[in-house]
Amino acid sequence: MRSQDEAQFVSLLKENQNIIHKICKLYTTDQDSHNDLFQEITIQLWKAYPNFRGDSKFTTWAYRVGLNTAITLFRKKKKTIDTIEFDNTFHKVKEDEYNFEEEEQLKLLYHAVNELNDIEKALVFLYLEDKDYTEIAETLGISEVNARVKMNRVKGKLKKIVNP
Amino acid sequence: MDELEILKQDWKKNENSFKQVGEKEIYNMIHKSSTSVVKWILIISILEFVILNGISFLISDKEIENFERLHPYIGIIEKVNYVVILGFIYLFYKNYKSICILSSSKKLIKDILQTRKTVNYYIYWNLIIGCFTGAIAFFDGFTESHQIENNKEIALTQIESILIFCIGFALVFAFIYGFYKLLYGFLMRRLQKNYNELSKIDF
Repeated sequence: MRSQDEAQFVSLLKENQNIIHKICKLYTTDQDSHNDLFQEITIQLWKAYPNFRGDSKFTTWAYRVGLNTAITLFRKKKKTIDTIEFDNTFHKVKEDEYNFEEEEQLKLLYHAVNELNDIEKALVFLYLEDKDYTEIAETLGISEVNARVKMNRVKGKLKKIVNP
Repeated sequence: MDELEILKQDWKKNENSFKQVGEKEIYNMIHKSSTSVVKWILIISILEFVILNGISFLISDKEIENFERLHPYIGIIEKVNYVVILGFIYLFYKNYKSICILSSSKKLIKDILQTRKTVNYYIYWNLIIGCFTGAIAFFDGFTESHQIENNKEIALTQIESILIFCIGFALVFAFIYGFYKLLYGFLMRRLQKNYNELSKIDF
């Protein structure tokens, strides 16, 4: 029988599942790994759910559990190749909006992000999600100043990969 | 425009375009078991305990009796070994339970690496016990074949005895060390890399 907690958790997760999908997109390069990581994050969220008191937002909580799972607990089944699949389902661009140059640049950018290490990817992810440096530092367990310094280095690294 | 800003625009534009997972699938997922690294460390250590100690049941009582008659202290070492291994399993479990997914990434990795430290001590302990008993068994085997070959009482010099013991020790050490390196290496490599990266940022 499904408990009330289970039902509540499933509903919250269903509503906020895009957070997990976005983490999976950044840390995996194929659909199977994406699904595996999605499942592992869901399991970890459920295991940690008794500690979720509702005084923080479910999304804030999910960011932390999701990233920690991707960085620490998830076992990649196989070594992924160094090219990111430019996911067309993720880029449903209307024909009149189609811009070849822009798409090429985005392809390069996603490829560049894929070249980053796990921690740099976490920084990029939190930045893309509009998190401030206080939250980025707190999530990763580093100081705010060092989070800023590292982010600038990552930006430089991306620039270098995109414009060699 | 900054590269990350271009990426952010695309990121925002497409954040709702993922194939959605349904309630039923989420229910199924939460009832599946985790494949987390920490869980595997715990499972492998318990399996090791069961397998390593199960092997002793496969060896005939007569052989064990002979071995213990020749080396009476082995029985004591064996009992101490059981207690120590049980202690290690308790530590593994304690580490496993104290790891909290809600910690910061750095603290979480640090806690997991603490499990690794326990694993390392466990490996050192197994190496010492394995090499010691292995070398004695190797020595026994060698002197036995030497006896059969020459059909006379063994008359090995002290240097020869030490040399045989050392070869036995080195062979068993290399085998066990290689085994553990392979077993735990693949579980720990990525964690250590990420911890080093986080430590480097805060240096």
